[in-house]
Amino acid sequence: MQGRVIDLHDGTPIYGAILRIESTGQFAQTNEDGIYQFKNVCSEEFRLIITHSECQTIERRIQLNTNQSVDFELEHHINTLEEIVLSEKQKGNVNKSVAEARLTTTQIDQYSSQSLANALGSIPGVTSLKTGNAIAKPMIHGMYGSRVGIVAEGIRLQDQEWGADHAPTVDLNAFESVQLVKGASALKYGGDTAGGVIILNPFNPLPRDSLYGKTRLTGSSNGRGGALSSQWILTRGTGFFFSGQLTAKRFGDFISPNYMLTNTGLKEGNFNFKIGRTKVVKGWEFIYSRFQNETGILRAAHIGNIQDLLRALQSNTPLVEGPFSYAIDAPKQQGVHHSIQAKIYNRFSEQNKWKIDYNYQRNQRKEFDIRRGGRADLPALDLQLQTHSILGSIQKKLGFDWSFEWGINGYFQDNYSNPDTGVKRLIPDYLKYQWGSFLTGKYEPNNLGSFEWGLRMDQVYWDVQKYYSLKDWTNRGYNRLFPDFEKVFLSTQLLTQPKFQFTTLSAHSGFSYQLSQVLKSTAAYILSQRSPNAAELFSDGLHHSLATIEFGNLTLEKETSHKFLVSFSSEINPFSFSFEPYLARIHNYIYIAPKEVQQTIRGAFPVWEYNATEALLWGFDIQGTLNISPQFDFNVKTSFVRIKDLFQNQPVISIPPLQTNQILSYIFPKNEVRIEIENQFVASQSFFPDFNVVVSTLEEGKVVDQLVDFSTPPKAYSVYNLNISLPLRITPTLSGNIRFMIQNVTQTSYRDYLNRMRFYSDEIGRNGTIQLILNH
Amino acid sequence: MKFYQNLLKAFAFTIFAISISCTKEAPELVDEQELITTVRLAIKGPNNSLQVVEWKMDNSNTNSIQLTPETEYEVTISIWDESDPLDIENITDEVKLEADEHQFFYEFSGVNVVLKTATTDVLDSQNNPLYVVSSWNTGAKGQGTVQVFLIHDPTTKTSTNRAGFGGATDVQVSFDIRIE
Repeated sequence: MQGRVIDLHDGTPIYGAILRIESTGQFAQTNEDGIYQFKNVCSEEFRLIITHSECQTIERRIQLNTNQSVDFELEHHINTLEEIVLSEKQKGNVNKSVAEARLTTTQIDQYSSQSLANALGSIPGVTSLKTGNAIAKPMIHGMYGSRVGIVAEGIRLQDQEWGADHAPTVDLNAFESVQLVKGASALKYGGDTAGGVIILNPFNPLPRDSLYGKTRLTGSSNGRGGALSSQWILTRGTGFFFSGQLTAKRFGDFISPNYMLTNTGLKEGNFNFKIGRTKVVKGWEFIYSRFQNETGILRAAHIGNIQDLLRALQSNTPLVEGPFSYAIDAPKQQGVHHSIQAKIYNRFSEQNKWKIDYNYQRNQRKEFDIRRGGRADLPALDLQLQTHSILGSIQKKLGFDWSFEWGINGYFQDNYSNPDTGVKRLIPDYLKYQWGSFLTGKYEPNNLGSFEWGLRMDQVYWDVQKYYSLKDWTNRGYNRLFPDFEKVFLSTQLLTQPKFQFTTLSAHSGFSYQLSQVLKSTAAYILSQRSPNAAELFSDGLHHSLATIEFGNLTLEKETSHKFLVSFSSEINPFSFSFEPYLARIHNYIYIAPKEVQQTIRGAFPVWEYNATEALLWGFDIQGTLNISPQFDFNVKTSFVRIKDLFQNQPVISIPPLQTNQILSYIFPKNEVRIEIENQFVASQSFFPDFNVVVSTLEEGKVVDQLVDFSTPPKAYSVYNLNISLPLRITPTLSGNIRFMIQNVTQTSYRDYLNRMRFYSDEIGRNGTIQLILNH
Repeated sequence: MKFYQNLLKAFAFTIFAISISCTKEAPELVDEQELITTVRLAIKGPNNSLQVVEWKMDNSNTNSIQLTPETEYEVTISIWDESDPLDIENITDEVKLEADEHQFFYEFSGVNVVLKTATTDVLDSQNNPLYVVSSWNTGAKGQGTVQVFLIHDPTTKTSTNRAGFGGATDVQVSFDIRIE
């Protein structure tokens, strides 16, 4: 029997770990590569104890078939603080029965100056829904927004996640690792995320006197800007720790291969600090973080009506183009996100532990449009979302094979929409109360398999105050359906107070099993229910970048998804691969689609309205690696997803097309310089709904009917990137990397189906980046 | 253990306190500042004859414009916010103040009308006409439509058709024209 022992966080080999077979007393030690070997193991079933001076001891029941390879993951850096291991934050897999992906520290470094969604794009099955280059929201298996949860510091991020043009207000640089779970199997954080959950984990403080940190400095040619991020951590042997982190980003206008993308610059400034104490039986933490950004939106994308969109579509270049500038003018977005958090945990007996997290978040979002009468400085949208969250849980272990967690989770949310904008509120004022309770369990009898299950119930209560135009209220039949909501009648407006209550149930059950020496599999069934979000129920307003009027729908009901996920992974040297197919049936799938074309004083506008249907979703993610030689690696990732609206018998809009990513890398054995060539191929989406409209325009005095084709996806594209990384060893305590990266080496002009700016401009062109990473 | 129980109590109390303590004030009605509800054309013909046509947001049954062949008309456009009958606002003034960023324009179909600036028109800083006051010269008899535009941030101010101006459309309405 042989295998490897690696660090749970970063996968690095652990040297000097001792493995002891309890019954026979046989033992083995790992070498520099973390590899151990037992010769002549007689018994077929035994208990193995793995110890290391700097790691937590683990115990596993092993079943041996023949000369088998078994790998272990140890939690490094924690010797005396066993209870931290019990905390969820870096416990390894959130759920063993669902395939999980992780961003490595190197990947986080590489994307230091970019957004979270861009960084996650390197995981198969994850794409992003973009508005230009800088505004990107992660999409998992074709789902985004409220169907994807983002968990930072153990608490769900509460921002205006429902807007398609809203990027998560979180700084990737503040976290040490990023886990991605496909499917709603992280029930602790909510049962409503049918797409998946992204878990951002901070550093783990060590109980020793030390001052360390990391600094990342990035400069890019495209956008002529860069980012600086620095983190310092002070720890004490008594368990006290203090950390501070700062990020600043600044970019000017980006450039596509053929033209300037006017007004696409951005600014971002974030900081956080953390103080706490971790001791053997108890600990606490206090965290404050602030995120602030300002992002310009392509000037040419601010249009008046559907005829303007037609003109934009007919032109190959943006209709407004200026010289390079760092200025960010309207249209633009501004966001500020504060978060204050307190955590406390206590291990009240050998096998049990409780913890409570309280968090307050304030998310402010302003959007500026081009306006008449000097109003461009006045936001057209001004929202403030405040959320109090509390999460309390108890973890219990029975023996070494059973573990349970029970907890309760409460939210109180207050949204305020400032009326001084002079523009009708897109999202109304509301109060939202939510509470939930969950119970999860795991049975892990031996190294061959594990079984997991979980249940969660939530209740959401909405108390909303919203003005409807009397005409809309009666046209939609709401006067008959919801007479109780009517409060104050004004001449043309009606103040209503909609109140809704939703009860949702989520469940998860799955197992992982070692099918043979080289083949491992997992299978899971996940039930997730989601109540409609604020935009789906109440949105009411105009979107300038698409010339659409968007309407919520009060008659929506909760969405129920049944998802089956299976995965097979295998390692046969020099080849390893994983195959993860999935299938979901979604009842009351909420989507937005054009309903009619409305004639207004501005001309024609398609009206988009939220509605529900029955949807079927299926797809797969594949990953393969071939170690051609110790220096040469070839890695390929492919993902495919399809969602069909079963009522309309047509595809669902904005679903990522087939994509493949290939990386060929070479490491020079002497100096560890690494060269990577990456190719990204994205097919054209052939499975899309046709929502095109015909408008009348005048051409040389004649009325001509023209098709406004905003449905047909752009052509397939292929982009090459080049990365070179050089390790730096300045002193024993100061090391790092220098990295040279070129994206879109060949200056390919292309447009992406999932970018809302695709009607107006190409994606950005070649971008050369120099990056310095220092671990100090 | 006692500490733990106390914490659970605190937890329950927090949830309870939050749930009952909040009632929200009724939101203010938004005063929509850039709303245009009415487009009005005052068409002055020979002998000071005056014809006024309107396109209203809530009632789009507009009158058609009656013109006679081979005649010159002076057309004055005005746009209004009449959403509050007690506070009617003339938006044209705002547009005149920002003449450089705006452009009124007319496009005809089915009828022969030549559009020119009028002597009393408003000019922008580059002396381009805003077409607030324009001159329409009719040709032969016919029936057709005129499309009225207000363009925000046009890419040029010297185009002869709507497409050439670029920019974002703030107003686009259509009136029937009869020349007989």
